Amino acid sequence: MTIHEPLTKPPVSPTKPGTPASGGGLTIRGLHKILGGRTIIDNLDLSVKEGELVSLLGPSGCGKTTTLRMIAGFLEPDSGSIEVEGQEVSHLGAENRPSAMVFQNYALWPHMTVAKNVGFPLKLRKMSKAEIKDRVEAVLELVSLLHHKDSKPARISGGEQQRVALARALVQEPKLLLLDEPLSNLDAKLRVKVREDIRKIQQELGITTVIVTHDQEEAMSMSDRIAVMNAGRIEQYSTPEALYARPETEFVATFIGSMNRLEGSLKDGLITAGPDVLGIRPEDVILADAPFAGAVPATVERVVPRGHFQEVYVRRADALLRSFVNGEPMRPGLRTYAGIRKAMTFRDGRLVGEAGAAL
Amino acid sequence: MTTTLHKPAELQQTVPPAGVTRPKRLGQRAVGFFMALPPILLIAIFVGFPIVLAFGFSIGLTGGLNHTIATIGQNVHEADAWWGTLAAYQEMFTNKRFLGDLLVTVIVTLVSTATVIFLALGIGLYLKLKGGRMARLLSGLAIVPLFIPVVIASWAILTFYSGTGFLRSVFALFGVDFPVWAFTMVTVIIGSVWTSLPFAVLMVSSGLQSVPNAMIEAARDAGAGSLRTIVSVIVPMAAVPIIIATTFTAIGIVGSFTVPYFTGPNSPNMLGVDMSNYFSAFNQPQQSAVMAFTVFLIASGIAALYVWANFRSAKEQGKA
Repeated sequence: MTIHEPLTKPPVSPTKPGTPASGGGLTIRGLHKILGGRTIIDNLDLSVKEGELVSLLGPSGCGKTTTLRMIAGFLEPDSGSIEVEGQEVSHLGAENRPSAMVFQNYALWPHMTVAKNVGFPLKLRKMSKAEIKDRVEAVLELVSLLHHKDSKPARISGGEQQRVALARALVQEPKLLLLDEPLSNLDAKLRVKVREDIRKIQQELGITTVIVTHDQEEAMSMSDRIAVMNAGRIEQYSTPEALYARPETEFVATFIGSMNRLEGSLKDGLITAGPDVLGIRPEDVILADAPFAGAVPATVERVVPRGHFQEVYVRRADALLRSFVNGEPMRPGLRTYAGIRKAMTFRDGRLVGEAGAAL
Repeated sequence: MTTTLHKPAELQQTVPPAGVTRPKRLGQRAVGFFMALPPILLIAIFVGFPIVLAFGFSIGLTGGLNHTIATIGQNVHEADAWWGTLAAYQEMFTNKRFLGDLLVTVIVTLVSTATVIFLALGIGLYLKLKGGRMARLLSGLAIVPLFIPVVIASWAILTFYSGTGFLRSVFALFGVDFPVWAFTMVTVIIGSVWTSLPFAVLMVSSGLQSVPNAMIEAARDAGAGSLRTIVSVIVPMAAVPIIIATTFTAIGIVGSFTVPYFTGPNSPNMLGVDMSNYFSAFNQPQQSAVMAFTVFLIASGIAALYVWANFRSAKEQGKA
């Protein structure tokens, strides 16, 4: 049996965050878009380094897809600039931009075979038939779909269609790869596999990539950096680790991972009433059957089995807390001791401090 | 915390006894059959049977129910073999007037159908790619002929293009002698386009509308300009409704009567008009039947295209 303890440990990323590199990658400045009288994108800045994979993560309607469509050239921004490898592209149509997109529903042309779909962008570039054939076969090999090259899209599975769409984008050797909710139509198991495939190929080819997703797990597991979006703005732009450990706003803290949200503040391990908001990660609520420093007697109220861990609701004198626990199954009614290892304090939605008991 | 026990799902299923359902299903089938029977009988007796009789008459089988018309009609070729004779067909296919009319019919059908589909595609693509008020207005206007009776439209077209018509009068003001289009094939084609356009626009534009926008965006993303996107993605994806619209338009025009009768010349004219002349004016019903079967043969060829398009669409859907 393998021990999974990745709940607080995000994947290792090859590139470290830093100041935006000038020249390579993607640089967006002051992007603004109003649609139907509503501000969808509000003065958005984003820079993606060359070879980096960045996720735009956020709830429905936060503007992430609109942003991606403006980068791709399907929507014209009201103002702002979009630079790809130092070249301003916002005045160009989608057909003239150095980016390639993988669509949410793959958008494979049903009347063309897999090879024709993938070869279409090359045909438009007036390449010779032999060269198109070579390059199409090479890219289909990369996504391990060479055996399906003469199939029509309707004949292959969803996961395979996804890979064809990826191949059609990769064959263009784009400077920027854009993926719009690339995994949302796949079942849970396939999603994990395909996202690993995408990540592997992206790292091999070193393509600057922007992915739009509403799935935090997907974003956390694939990205070098994540831009969490809310109401047309970027709430926080940092590595998955930093996003989880030090969310800058209450919105990010609630959106990434789970959190006990309580009104009040933490004093000597106890929650006291106050105007601030406390955010406590479930794994920072420690349960033990003997008293320990900072712990308070508690009763187990509800247990939700979650596979390799349990979600336990414990009632303390000051609050009802949710905790993630490994080990022996717990039962409702069990008397225990609960201590808070770490809590984040938010004031007006922004992180103002961290309090932790020495546990 | 208490847990409630859920009954296994299988226990909640009710299985009706087999003996009850079967007679009911057979009964339903019988009801369905009898409901479908009246239209089938209607078509068989009032359409199918006369077609068989007319075909028999065209190959010289003049006995039985064809006896009366064979007696009244002039220039009737009678069968000299048990299966009939091709004498009437031979007469018509060596008749210059008929051959000219056949050629005119084919040309008018081809030119009008091509024009109608070209216009319908233009309007449909404009609506799909640009949208907006202008596109909606245009597609709305294209439907108008549907609500104007063909006789009235034909008359209007005729007077508009006639020797003393509006167009020539306006040109005459500027000293230009515009050609007289009334009673020529030009007005027949204009009239045919006018009557066929609404249905083709409805069918083609709905076919084009059903092409998902993501497919078009994917083509643009791949580097395709507007024309390339239309030729390689939009039109092929709407091929089936376009083919169906083409076949319906062509079949409608090949057998048209009102438009060529009102606006066309005396000769050569389309077979629909000629058929009527041979039947009533010349009293040669057998020659008229020969023409009818010639038109029928052309229409069958077009219909085969329609069947093929439907088959292709069914195949595509079955694949998905």
